[in-house]
Amino acid sequence: MIKYKKDTDNIVTLILDMSDRNDNVINHEIGQAFLPVLKHLQQEKRKGTLRGIILTSAKKRFLAGGDLEYLYHAQDATEIFQFADGLKQFLRDLEKPGVPVVAAINGDALGAGFELALGCHHRIVIDNPKIKLGLPEVRLGLIPGSGGIIRLMWLLGIERAFDILSSGLRYRPKDALRVGIIDELAKDQKEMMEKARHFLLHTKEGRRPWDQDQGRIPGGTAKDPEMAKGIRILATQLAKETYRNYPAQQAILNILSEGSKVDFDTACRIGTRYYTQLVLSPACKNMIKAFWFDYKSIKDGEKRPKGFGRFRPRKVGIIGAGQMGSGIAYACLLNGLEVVIKDVSRLIAERGRMYAKERIQKALAQNTITKVEAESMLAKITTTEDPSEFESCDLVIEAVFENAQVKQKVTREAEAYMDDYSVLASNTVSIPITELAQNSLRPDHYVGLHFFHPADQVPLVEIVRGAKTSEETIARAFDFVNVIKKIPIIVKDDWGFYAARVQNTFILEGITLLQEGCPPALIENLSLQAGMPKGALSLADDLGLGMVLKYEQQAAAHYGNKYIQHPAVSVLQNMIDELQRTGRFKKAGFYQYEEGTAPQFWTELGDHYPLSKKSFQATEIIERLLFAQVIEAVWCLQENVIRSIPEANLGSIFGWGFPAFKGGVIQYIHDYGVDNFVRRCNQFKKKHGQRFSTPKKLRELVAKDQLNQQVL
Amino acid sequence: MSEAYIFDALRTPRGKGKSSGALYEVKPIDLLATALTALKERNQIPTQEVDDVLIGCVTPIDDQGYNIAKAGLLHARWAESVGGMQINRYCASGLEAVNLAASKVRSGWESLIVAGGIESMSRVPIGSDGGALMYDPELINGVKFVPQGIAADLIATIEGFDRESLDRYALNSHQRAATAWNEGYFKKAIIPIFDRNGLPLLQEDEHIRRETDLEALAELSPSFAEMGEYGFDALAKQAFPMVSQVQHVHTAGNSCGIVDGAALLLVGTEQKGQSLELKARARIVAATSISVNPTIMLTGATPASEKVLRLAGMKKSDIDLWECNEAFASVVLKYQRDLDIDPDKLNVNGGAIAMGHPLGATGAMLLGTLLDELERRDLQTGLVSLCVGGGMGVATIIERV
Repeated sequence: MIKYKKDTDNIVTLILDMSDRNDNVINHEIGQAFLPVLKHLQQEKRKGTLRGIILTSAKKRFLAGGDLEYLYHAQDATEIFQFADGLKQFLRDLEKPGVPVVAAINGDALGAGFELALGCHHRIVIDNPKIKLGLPEVRLGLIPGSGGIIRLMWLLGIERAFDILSSGLRYRPKDALRVGIIDELAKDQKEMMEKARHFLLHTKEGRRPWDQDQGRIPGGTAKDPEMAKGIRILATQLAKETYRNYPAQQAILNILSEGSKVDFDTACRIGTRYYTQLVLSPACKNMIKAFWFDYKSIKDGEKRPKGFGRFRPRKVGIIGAGQMGSGIAYACLLNGLEVVIKDVSRLIAERGRMYAKERIQKALAQNTITKVEAESMLAKITTTEDPSEFESCDLVIEAVFENAQVKQKVTREAEAYMDDYSVLASNTVSIPITELAQNSLRPDHYVGLHFFHPADQVPLVEIVRGAKTSEETIARAFDFVNVIKKIPIIVKDDWGFYAARVQNTFILEGITLLQEGCPPALIENLSLQAGMPKGALSLADDLGLGMVLKYEQQAAAHYGNKYIQHPAVSVLQNMIDELQRTGRFKKAGFYQYEEGTAPQFWTELGDHYPLSKKSFQATEIIERLLFAQVIEAVWCLQENVIRSIPEANLGSIFGWGFPAFKGGVIQYIHDYGVDNFVRRCNQFKKKHGQRFSTPKKLRELVAKDQLNQQVL
Repeated sequence: MSEAYIFDALRTPRGKGKSSGALYEVKPIDLLATALTALKERNQIPTQEVDDVLIGCVTPIDDQGYNIAKAGLLHARWAESVGGMQINRYCASGLEAVNLAASKVRSGWESLIVAGGIESMSRVPIGSDGGALMYDPELINGVKFVPQGIAADLIATIEGFDRESLDRYALNSHQRAATAWNEGYFKKAIIPIFDRNGLPLLQEDEHIRRETDLEALAELSPSFAEMGEYGFDALAKQAFPMVSQVQHVHTAGNSCGIVDGAALLLVGTEQKGQSLELKARARIVAATSISVNPTIMLTGATPASEKVLRLAGMKKSDIDLWECNEAFASVVLKYQRDLDIDPDKLNVNGGAIAMGHPLGATGAMLLGTLLDELERRDLQTGLVSLCVGGGMGVATIIERV
């Protein structure tokens, strides 16, 4: 588990090597394993036969983070507190004044893994851009629980520590050095060990700033009036950005503020108390569920058709150099693929290259890629007006504007040159893949790949299965999406597929509230407070009211005489037909748009949709806006529009911004409690209409969430 | 039960609360001791006859720390037997001190108390005592606590007060204060400040702008827009989601001035007054405090006034003159609208927008001003109220005897 080596200079090297695992993980085991080693080291120290310690790893990664399986299921505050406290005590023993300890970091050190590195007197990392370092806990609704927050504060000061901790960024070694969380870079393993020895041979005693009499937190404590003001601004900015929905970020600020006023060990203990509270919090459980378990389940290919070999695309053709096509091209380039960008003329196709160039230059400026990488990416772009250039492409993605005829024409042109093994994908939001595939030469190789705008940033792609799409094509599309490091969810070829269909119910509910006489500001502000990225009305304007109406009309057509008209439909018709306000594109929707100023509500909105005298409950509005989406997502599961809970959850978070702290649409039901949710739906059904009735199979469907069954 | 009477009320002139202000060079205990000495001399009271001294002070640190009431008493060489206590109910501290004094007197346990307040905002800036409501990130976000200026702008936004109506109110405050000074209405209460050699430092309120007009006021830029941008507008909207956008309409011109000053009242039983040959000028009829939503924060004066009227068994029409602290113009306009008060009966001699708001002292100043004006107009009953940080409100009714 821990290998012990001692050299003639009395330098001990401890090599972490957890048996039966690919990674070294921080769990109960590791603390236990270290105990006898530490005891032995203390004896050596007393005897004067210990000059220093190098801590390194035998694994590809230095030390991965904590045990999320354990944290997700942990329910006992005492146990969690003691677990964190145990690790903290171990780190404290390690760094106690005396024998200096160097962390020789040969691979990823993230989360609790980086906490161990922070517990050493000196950190040296091999300068390999693939190595990731940092404290990303906040992305799972967590915080470092073993003193990492306080150590970082003592090393960098409150404000810099807050930036690093609250963003949860993972750093490449160079960036880590720049932000100050490591001390040295080494070009390879050999140099790292040499530098570690050099440090130990020249350092008599290891003593952290907080163990020094003269030690001070850089930039001062929260008692300092200027710092207090700074913290106040950080607090309100946080509230502004997160609507106070993400307790982990708030906890970090609270801990830094309080922790700066007390001694190091008390500060760490305050931190552990917050940590315990967060581990037990719904937001944290929901985020671990979504971003760890659901993510893993999708990425492990749970829904990828079985029995087909891995598709390894090398060259991707893209038809259409607009925003979407350019974004997709850049996403491909970022992941080492060659791209052929085609448009009606080469000149127009060049727009795709320009976009990639801009993004690459930006990435260069931000140091997220190297010059060599940039040059190699640029060399992989071909632009053309000639479909014959697609001959050697493994996959061609059509991303022209939403017109079925045009789409069919350009794909057919491409198909003529593509080989029999290649895949043709269409990026559409509103045209059925089955319809588009009608004229295809190889409809079984035709699939929908629905990217979200901006395509190089949104980490989700809907894979749309047309009537004739083969299982193998789905598997290949899945593999391609994985290659460009996005999350593939497989959806049915129904109107709006999954994301747009469910998102539309949010918009419709907001519009219904307006019709009921709810103040528009209340609809928009409570949308945001609910955790949605935009207000429902503002989103309606962005999409265009015609589009919103069209989705609902498609739903009507789908359900036939079982369809009950949504109350928002009449508002949409009135806005479009009578008032000629179709949305942002026409600079006239629920909002009015003027250059240079933030959009304002249309001044006449109140005349057409006057305020009601009845009072609106904030909680009820928030629930209506979210329930509408959750119920629609369950319909999607029931109708096999989406086929798994992990896909439904991550699809909702990344597809249209359903609140991450709720863990996605289906996790929302577990968070709310299935019985409570159904009861509340029944209340809403009575009060607001049939659209709140729950799909018959709701209980059965959500019960499939096995992870949650273990908790219950 | 013994009634509580006011025998005297005095105040210092208010100096600008910055280093160019006339009282900046005067240390807070000097300001308080000057007022104490004046009170003793005007009323010829042997100081050992005083049971207690209650002093409001909102930023009780540094020069004002460690209980400035007792420090001021010792500095003024009052009898050793007289105790002092500093209290803090933010902007209403001075009035709260009087209310507390009245309660003590009415309980029968004390018979003569000095109550008032002190604030040297030039020496000890507002907020320099820190505090959880100002700087604890958990609390600020937990209760959606915003600076008072943002709260004042939020009131204006919700009530629909535009910039011009606020400026118009502010102009009125300056004009009324100027008239009151010109006509000598404040003469009875004012204790001019001299240096240790008897050389004059300040005779009159320094903050009034006699020459100001609507145009000059309109030129001032909003004071709280930038602060709102930092995130406080967002917090305010999270508490009041029906608000689309907080309108930043308050400026240095239509908000209260930052000043230095002190004020004292002498409160006691009728019997004690008679034995010391003090003339009872008014009876403290009722006093109370309440609290409201902490985000909008400054709307407490209305419910406090309604409650104190109930306690007194009075109707609005029983009140001859009203004082509502001019923390911000929107506060007074809302108060006037809520209670439907005749503008000619409210803040008739101007207020803190013109003369400034020495936090801990203002409540006592307002009560003294109200009493002087009731006497000058030969009216009977007055109500004074203040909005208070954190959402609180304090109100008191007095009646001439």
